[in-house]
Amino acid sequence: MTTLPPQPEAAANTAARTIATSGFAIRPALLVPVLAVGFAALIGLALIAVIGVSVPSAIAAFVDGTLGSPYAMAASINRSTVFALVGFGFILANRANLTNVGGEGQIAVGGIAATAVALYGHVGALPLGLSFILPMLAAVLAGALWGALAAVLKVKSGTNEVISTLLLSFVGVWLLYWCVQSPALLRKPMTSSATLPESLEIPDTTQLPLLTGDYSFPLHIGLPITIVIAVVVAVLLSKTVLGLRLRAVGLNPVASNRAGISYARTVIFALAMAGALGGLAGALMLLGEQYTLKDGFSSGYGFDGLVAGLLSRGSVTGVIAASLLFGFMRSGGINMEMVAAVPTALVVVIQGLIVITLAGATLFIERWERQ
Amino acid sequence: MNTASAPAEIVAEPLLSLAAITKRFGSFTALSDVSLDIRPGEIHCILGENGAGKSTLCNLIFGVHRPDAGAMRYRGARFEPSGPADSLAQGIAMVHQHFSLVPDMSVVDNVLLGREKGVLNRKQCARQLEQLAVDYGLPLDPFAKIEDISVGERQRVEIVKCLIRDPSLFVLDEPTAVLLPDEIAALLEVCRRVASSGRAVVLVTHKLAEIKKIADRVTVLRGGRVVATSDRPAAEIDALVRAMIQGSVETLDQSAASILGLEPVRHVGHDSGKQRAPRAKIEALQIDGLTVKDYQGVTRLDNFTLTVDRGEIVGVAGVEGNGQSELTAVLAGMMSPSDGRIHLDNTDLTARSPKEITAAGVGIVPEDRHAVGCVTGMSLAENIYLNRLDEFTRFGFLRRAALESEAATLMQRFDVRARGPGALFSSLSGGNQQKAVLAREITLPNLACLVAAQPTRGLDVGAVAAVYSHIRAACDRGVAVLLVSSELDELLTVADRIVVLYRGRIMGSCMADPDRREAIGAMMAGQPQ
Repeated sequence: MTTLPPQPEAAANTAARTIATSGFAIRPALLVPVLAVGFAALIGLALIAVIGVSVPSAIAAFVDGTLGSPYAMAASINRSTVFALVGFGFILANRANLTNVGGEGQIAVGGIAATAVALYGHVGALPLGLSFILPMLAAVLAGALWGALAAVLKVKSGTNEVISTLLLSFVGVWLLYWCVQSPALLRKPMTSSATLPESLEIPDTTQLPLLTGDYSFPLHIGLPITIVIAVVVAVLLSKTVLGLRLRAVGLNPVASNRAGISYARTVIFALAMAGALGGLAGALMLLGEQYTLKDGFSSGYGFDGLVAGLLSRGSVTGVIAASLLFGFMRSGGINMEMVAAVPTALVVVIQGLIVITLAGATLFIERWERQ
Repeated sequence: MNTASAPAEIVAEPLLSLAAITKRFGSFTALSDVSLDIRPGEIHCILGENGAGKSTLCNLIFGVHRPDAGAMRYRGARFEPSGPADSLAQGIAMVHQHFSLVPDMSVVDNVLLGREKGVLNRKQCARQLEQLAVDYGLPLDPFAKIEDISVGERQRVEIVKCLIRDPSLFVLDEPTAVLLPDEIAALLEVCRRVASSGRAVVLVTHKLAEIKKIADRVTVLRGGRVVATSDRPAAEIDALVRAMIQGSVETLDQSAASILGLEPVRHVGHDSGKQRAPRAKIEALQIDGLTVKDYQGVTRLDNFTLTVDRGEIVGVAGVEGNGQSELTAVLAGMMSPSDGRIHLDNTDLTARSPKEITAAGVGIVPEDRHAVGCVTGMSLAENIYLNRLDEFTRFGFLRRAALESEAATLMQRFDVRARGPGALFSSLSGGNQQKAVLAREITLPNLACLVAAQPTRGLDVGAVAAVYSHIRAACDRGVAVLLVSSELDELLTVADRIVVLYRGRIMGSCMADPDRREAIGAMMAGQPQ
């Protein structure tokens, strides 16, 4: 072959890369999502103004509910960990080209299992932290089974996992309803007809220890657990043979099978892991925050976690960023609703707007990077 | 010579002309300063090795890509197609290298796809198909599902899809790679008929026999540039080949030359140099009464019995769709037989998993490289060691550096050309992808048997020679080779023995003797000899 002179484009590319990695240049990959969120927030504020709520008081309520107090900040971060766990599960399964939309149900069964074990016999009296570790493990197991159920259906009969995980979500949510309605299951003893359909409060020892030990800053050990899991998931996806196998099966199950990578095992593992993380998320909600199991316990966290996973484009950092955003949004939204009388519907609208602009921004970045 | 029907002296106004076309993908220049004319009534062949830019050229004409520089003129006007639909509307039809059919739909529905709005008139379309079948010799069952018909028939559907539009320019991108000798002849006849009605045919190929037979003019591409053109291709074929591969025809591997049709088919075998001395017969692969029924209960492979000895190459000949795919799928562990046994030495491999079959020392080069052979979205190194990832793991972590350095060694040994072991598999040319798959299967530590299905399909001269030199080398080391191919010349050149499959049964078998070509051809058509 004749030797071609060096391509000028190649040199230009190298130069561009140096600038981008120098750290000081503003990278559109970071800037664009920030602009997108800002844009959505502006539209949200305009909508608030249109319905006649005072914009400054709405902003004040939002800030108060997110960063206004140590309590608000800790509660927001605790929420974020739940979204993050579901999101990690989503990207893990998604690496094998599986779409786990069952976070909601996995949270529900995780919550049920955690409650059941926490209230069981003398679990509350166990030493060495087993009092809260056992309920957590039970939740992980329950979530894993819930996810694996969808996987087995897929492997055995080809049921699409989007359908099965979604339907299993409804089953999980109604299972929860049954558990808190039936005195034979988890409903607290009926002393009068006014007894609420909810479980007993779990013993203090089974509640997740607070990092500071101070209820005015209720950040619990769910945060370090989530950080560890974030690292494990990131390493698993990028550095391990297992991660490579997930990717291979996701990209070409037939060729992977020929190369000796079991499709069934990979799919079951991936969905069980996603379910386990969903179950753990349920445990964090129950053992770390709510302490009693109620109907509507999962309240859409599974779906928000799913959106965090979707927006992340498969990256752990992406999940963390989206989860933090959603965690603070939800806290701020609740406060806006309570203090500034912004209707719940509007808060949901603003959240939806953010998702749409972020998704649009993601598309924009992808196109920009391709050029 | 073929200038009798289209005298070269009469130069008509070109139907399509390309002037100084350049096309880049990122920093890679696929086409550089390419100019050529397509005249009405001619068959214009584009010759070149894989990666020479042939497909890019077709895609530019068809409007899939837009040129970065240069201009096209079509029917005397500027031609800047906004996309394939635009090109189609202007009378340019293209048969792509890879099928673009919906497997789950019938032939008629595939033909109608994208052509009609509103109510589908299947009956009318079926009538049109029948007419085309008569006109061009392209018989098809209009209501058969694509997934149920053979590869050759699918190719016919692709061609019919174009012809039904009555195109004035008909572009075919390596259409004969999957066809039988008879079918190739029929296709060339179709091209001839299309051209004789004043339309132009652009035929992309690297098969020289086809060019000799049919081309009016030839443009040779190498490295994205036009390196030669000829108005008398049949007479100048050697010069064209030399331009294509930039080397001497004489140094070309004997088997490759034979397969490509440069020379008369000649048996080469694999013990090159040595006479074929009677070897000690050591049976390696034993297939006994293998029967495969598909999910509808149709018998696809019927009581197939065959033994392959160590150091022997047995060719399985036959028209595609006569049980070859099922045979290789069962041997690869991708399908369970309904009856029969497979043994390797004394190990029973019947209905074992692909993993167990690999562990037993059976290498499989699958017929469908993209679907079964590789994961195109992963790197070359990951693909080369996809079945042996466990060897590159420590505490579950992937030792990527070790993986890539081992892969780099194999790349060198098998002449796999890519930017590096980390290159995305889909960025490799077809020939290099095939060499990588072959490298993976042939370097199994305990390789005892190699099953290769259509291993040279779509490969260029250099790659064909490389694939066979590796297969022969493995065979000389005592590996039993089962070679499934629909290219009879290929089998006659390299195999020791040939069995012919017809409708799932062994129609007959004989030594690979070029003199028995006719007899084998008859067996392929279902006539016992």
